[in-house]
Amino acid sequence: MKKIFKNLILCLMLASMLIGLVGCASNSKPQKVVIYTNADKEAVQAMQNSLNTAGYEGKYVLQSMGTSELGGKLMAEGDKIEANLVTMSSYFVESAQQKHKMFAELNFETKALEKYPAYYTPILANTGAIFINTQVIKDKGLAIPKSIKDLTKDEYKGLVSIPNIMNSSTAWLLMQAIISEYGEVEGKMVLNKLIQNCGPHIETSGSGPIKKVRVGEVAAGFGLRHQAVADKVAGKPMDYIDPIEGNYTLTESIAVVKKADTATTQLAMEMAKIIIEKARPELIKDYPVALYQGEVVTDVNKAGNLKNFEKPLTVELLEAHQEFFKAAK
Amino acid sequence: MRKERLETQLIYITVAIFFIVFLFAPLFILLMNSVKTGHGIGFSNYVSIIYGQDILIAIKNSIYVSALTALITTILAFILAYAVNCTNIYKAIKEIIKIGIVLPMLLPTITYGFAIIYSFGKQGLLTQLFGRELFQIYGFNGLLMGYVIYTLPSAFLLIDNSFGYIDKKFIIVSTLMGDGFFRSFTNTILRPLVGTLGGAFVIAFILSFTDFGIPASVGGTYSVVATQLYQVMLGAIPNFNSGSAIAMIMLIPAIFGVLFLNYLGKFNFHYDKFTNIEIIKNRMRDVYLASISMTTILSIMLIFLVMFITPFVKNFPYDMSFTTSFFKDTFFSSSIVDVYENSLFVAVVSALLGTALCYSAAIINVRTQMSKHMKLSIDVFSMVTNTVPGMVLGLAYLLLFNNSDLKGTFFIIIICNIVHFFTTPYLMAKNSLSKMNPSWEITGELMGDTWIHTIIRVIIPNSISTLVEMFGYYFINSMVTISAVIFLVTARTSVVTSKIKELQHFANFNEIFVLSILIFLTNIAMKIFSTFLHKKLSLMNQRG
Repeated sequence: MKKIFKNLILCLMLASMLIGLVGCASNSKPQKVVIYTNADKEAVQAMQNSLNTAGYEGKYVLQSMGTSELGGKLMAEGDKIEANLVTMSSYFVESAQQKHKMFAELNFETKALEKYPAYYTPILANTGAIFINTQVIKDKGLAIPKSIKDLTKDEYKGLVSIPNIMNSSTAWLLMQAIISEYGEVEGKMVLNKLIQNCGPHIETSGSGPIKKVRVGEVAAGFGLRHQAVADKVAGKPMDYIDPIEGNYTLTESIAVVKKADTATTQLAMEMAKIIIEKARPELIKDYPVALYQGEVVTDVNKAGNLKNFEKPLTVELLEAHQEFFKAAK
Repeated sequence: MRKERLETQLIYITVAIFFIVFLFAPLFILLMNSVKTGHGIGFSNYVSIIYGQDILIAIKNSIYVSALTALITTILAFILAYAVNCTNIYKAIKEIIKIGIVLPMLLPTITYGFAIIYSFGKQGLLTQLFGRELFQIYGFNGLLMGYVIYTLPSAFLLIDNSFGYIDKKFIIVSTLMGDGFFRSFTNTILRPLVGTLGGAFVIAFILSFTDFGIPASVGGTYSVVATQLYQVMLGAIPNFNSGSAIAMIMLIPAIFGVLFLNYLGKFNFHYDKFTNIEIIKNRMRDVYLASISMTTILSIMLIFLVMFITPFVKNFPYDMSFTTSFFKDTFFSSSIVDVYENSLFVAVVSALLGTALCYSAAIINVRTQMSKHMKLSIDVFSMVTNTVPGMVLGLAYLLLFNNSDLKGTFFIIIICNIVHFFTTPYLMAKNSLSKMNPSWEITGELMGDTWIHTIIRVIIPNSISTLVEMFGYYFINSMVTISAVIFLVTARTSVVTSKIKELQHFANFNEIFVLSILIFLTNIAMKIFSTFLHKKLSLMNQRG
């Protein structure tokens, strides 16, 4: 009995010493770079591949989260955020910078096609479009829609799916198209009819609608254009339509958080550079919008009716559009 | 005697300070936050919740689905416990029931949802088996099912334990006196168990009401309080004050539950003598109950089965050829190894420190002459921890430590676990210590040993098997919890359960299941280890 007890005490002592050692060890090691991202799986994979190939494997921790979750953290925590490197919808990066002045200026050349603020540079761009399941359209004898407004016709009742702007930034592409084409008053009516036609098919995730269209649960949906293009190319009964209201584009960008820990911030800066230089060729395959000099996009991936947002995108504008969506219900 | 008082007082002060800092202060901050408004103190946060439809609907939904869960769970748990205790079903089958029912406890609740999706969803294993979707899993149905699986083990353990205290002699007497089945059943089984059944109902209700893991995976558009709270706190527009008010509302059912439990305590029967009497033969009853129990157990296992299949086939359910590549890919990626190490570290330290805390608190409560008030206060700590849902505790920690250096450390996660799971191991320790000979300390003193010496030389060695059990309880619960730590983990301190939640964004089920298996195997190993140690130690104790 005594022996077992002695052994047990010994074990406990050893364990507590080990714990102490682990604690010390993690303090003396250089900090890993923490990356927060709202990007899709494909984009995350592309970024990780570029970092790992460049020899940064094990030197970073990547944490994925939803756009609204990451957005909440950025706005609430500012530079107290755990992350050293952030990839996020550009408008959120801009709003967070305005509020907290939390990002460092990038110290590398990017050769971007457009001009961006010094503290961020885009990693990818999303374009919105309508897509349809051609088989369902044929079976139900529906007219092929040319505009978002077409989807509000009675014949589409229960057969449309859209993302929810409360959770998904893809839905913003839809809101913007409706508001700029029809204005606040008529726009609200259009949106109201659209929401009614959707019924239970208002999705929390931006890729929710295309999943429902793909399996034929609904006939038409609104979401990311390139996903529908890929489906059509793969021979699925899918087609995409550039709505007369316009294809709007949202970019997601990378930014480095200013921190007192300069060594880690420097490492984060190096990683940002690697991602922009090495991950773009892989990223542009899934998100075919040219952002940097020398990038080429195939014809099918070029949206037919590209338009730009009139006002600068901010979190306040997003909140206003969220209110617009709620009021239209 | 003077020395003893000094030592016990030191322990008492440590325990009391611990609970003041890590239980009452965070809860107080939570309360303060909930009444903090744009212009001073007021109840506008609560008012806006009551007027804001979203949250009110979520609360109604939560109450409805939790109450239904509690009802189903209590009935089912009772049937299973009855089958184990009052029938002549083969011993082997009884063992299978007893082991099978507690297996879900070794998995995090967030996994239940994914197992349900992959069993009953469009491409689910059971959907394939039956050739059609049996029912819509997202929302109410999925929640109900997940909650029942989640609460069944706790309810069963509680009722099964009470069956042990029912004197089965009365069943025979009642039969001999010519009572009909119903009369006999009501008088000898139901009546004595009323308190326990009420307790099982309350526990099942509170567990479902406050769980975060299951709605996080199968909640769908059916909103419940736990997910609403998460959204308000960490959503696009975080609102700490509203969140605190929701958290305070989440406390209400738990407080009522505890009051109700105390009231039910009056109905508990106490028999002085237990006689082991052969149960009356009744083949029909045995066959009937055995089939119900085995169906329940098999259904649960069938739902989790998919978890052990999908990560080992190439592309479930289209290409069912065997592969270990998912397992290898997941396991050899550095980020998963890190997260698993984090989980193990958190579980081991929580278990070590937690066991020490519970044991010290129990020792001064049971084996010292400390004043009644002090003893009562420790019991109050234990009651309060039992009442506070993990999510509320986590949120309170977030609010209190958000601007301190403790934010984002393992320390805070470990402390949260220790407080969250305090009650059960504390009661285990109290139970075992109060059964020991009360005169050991006096004997020790007469022989010239100090109080501490007696504790170390006599008391602790005699309760080693309880200590092992306490350690195991803490370890397993720390491995599977998500509700308590979801507000506290960061990228650097991420644990396996929070990683599973993260993988949900990508619907990466293979990796989700590999991680779940990892937790499951770790906990099984822990269980086997503690059972083995327990047996060995009790054998040694018998020999002296």
